[in-house]
Amino acid sequence: MSILHLRDLRKSFGSSVALEECSLETREGELVTLLGPSGCGKTTALRIVAGFETPDAGSVELGGKDITRVPAHRRSMGMVFQGYSLFPNLSVADNVDFGLRTRGDAAPDRRRRVGEMLELIDLVDHAAKFPHQLSGGQQQRVALARALAVEPRVLLLDEPLSALDAKVRSSLRDEIRRIQREVGITTLFVTHDQDEALAISDRVCVMSQGRVEQLGTPMEVYRAPATPFVARFVGTMNELPGIVSGRETVSLAGIEIHAPRCSGESAGTAGRLLVRPEDLSIGESGLRGTVVSLAFHGATSAISVDVQRLGRYLTVVAPSSTVDDLRTGAETTVAVDASRAIWEAT
Amino acid sequence: MIHRLSSVVAKSVPRLVVLVCSLFFAAPLLALARYSFQNVPTILLGWSTLFDKWSVTGVTAVFREEAFWSSLRLSLTLAAGTVVLTIGLLVPTALWVHLRLPRARALLEFITVLPYMVPAIAMVAGIMIIKPHARWFLNSDLALVPFYVVLALPFTYRSLDTGLRAVDLRTLVDAGRSLGAGWPRTMVRVVLPQLRVAIISAVFLTVAVVLGEYTLANTLLIQSLPPYQELFVGREPQAGYALNLLALASTTVLFAVLALVTRPRRRQSSLVRAIVSSPAHSSENPS
Repeated sequence: MSILHLRDLRKSFGSSVALEECSLETREGELVTLLGPSGCGKTTALRIVAGFETPDAGSVELGGKDITRVPAHRRSMGMVFQGYSLFPNLSVADNVDFGLRTRGDAAPDRRRRVGEMLELIDLVDHAAKFPHQLSGGQQQRVALARALAVEPRVLLLDEPLSALDAKVRSSLRDEIRRIQREVGITTLFVTHDQDEALAISDRVCVMSQGRVEQLGTPMEVYRAPATPFVARFVGTMNELPGIVSGRETVSLAGIEIHAPRCSGESAGTAGRLLVRPEDLSIGESGLRGTVVSLAFHGATSAISVDVQRLGRYLTVVAPSSTVDDLRTGAETTVAVDASRAIWEAT
Repeated sequence: MIHRLSSVVAKSVPRLVVLVCSLFFAAPLLALARYSFQNVPTILLGWSTLFDKWSVTGVTAVFREEAFWSSLRLSLTLAAGTVVLTIGLLVPTALWVHLRLPRARALLEFITVLPYMVPAIAMVAGIMIIKPHARWFLNSDLALVPFYVVLALPFTYRSLDTGLRAVDLRTLVDAGRSLGAGWPRTMVRVVLPQLRVAIISAVFLTVAVVLGEYTLANTLLIQSLPPYQELFVGREPQAGYALNLLALASTTVLFAVLALVTRPRRRQSSLVRAIVSSPAHSSENPS
């Protein structure tokens, strides 16, 4: 069942358009990530949902009710911010209590709820501490507990991990997901980090220049990108210059490759075939090149091959066991599986 | 050897600078104290008379003068009025600019520094021009309040601005609002506690400016403390300078109090105490 519905949102700041016909629907209890580069409008969309910005056009619906003009403090949205947002003059417990006290809950209920929340984030022992006595990761956990304490209908996370170091980031990411599942709250998560988005989300909404480019599961977005932008932004992509030579065929440096997704193009159209590294393999036939570098990542290895006839370096990701005998400087052949590749005319 | 020498010089130079600066500030004050509180003719003030005839009787005479108390009362009233008007106008303005019009910050900074660049006497000239049209207001002693607000602006705005820049106010306000607090509650429970130190500093600086302002009061013939002090010095030079010294000491004490009150104080609420002392918490944290 749809709980949060963004309809054709439009927002400009002066002459700069932040959102352009942005629509999105989230289902009850799912975690949807807004993913995109800086300035793509993802934070603006989140701030409109939170009630901190008013859209120029379009609407925001929560549970079927239009809340576009409802002030932020009456929206029932919990939010965790990019910057540390704990109130410096209040202790951890008082921060978590802030929303409950504002709502006018009775003291015993507040005490119970604050205790529950601190247990949820495993910081009961830090109840009396003040924000400056906590690490960045702990502060964001408290901010999460504070946002959840008032039992909002939607949780909004505005790049909550971006100020943290890599290790804390990864563990807090998993913790956010655990808590989100445990509480079962519909969550909108904003990030520019594709790994984060793919790891944490039920669905990913890739945005560019104020528009939704694709909304799908992490697997769909990665394996079947809807546009060249999504293909390039999510994961690594090889760009192979070529010419459409038949109905579903592309010629790459004279080698014919079966590429079903270029079927709409007329023969002779020049362009680029966008292929994932794992769709390239070191094989018997294909594009000839020289191994430039090899990076061992355990189960897989990344091989960089200089294909002079394309004028490109291609990145191949292959099981390490299949490239045991490959050495830097060796001549090799790169086979292209273009069944999922995207064609971009130039 | 050279290394040792340079290390000694490196350690000594800062101490020497501090010593010279201290002497530079303390020597005139000590000389003033001797002149004001020693019943020794000025010509005889020297090392041999350093401990002779110290007395506060000269300055205590001023406390018996009604004019002193009325000028002090007026100065304190002016200070209170200036504080109320400054804080009432400046805090909402500074907040509004920081939260909604960040681009106007540079303009506001320029405007608030103007009173520092334009001498008070220039303001007096302006007041004289408008005086015939606003006698009903300018004849009142409290007419000084708005002008003192302007004179104190360079100090008060900078104090508030520093406080506002020290915290991510926008995020804190958004956090407060997302937790269900409307604007009034967000201001009282979220914003003002973060600005406590800045506001207290602004208040003390305003009071210091008002208690020391002479030009405007004297030109407008308003008998606040500084013009009274000037008159008193003319009449009783020794006791007058003693009074000035006392005023200076009072301001110093004021700033010491400022440093004391603005120390970060964080108190535990009853909720925190209840959670910390709850059995569940105690069992997890036996210490």
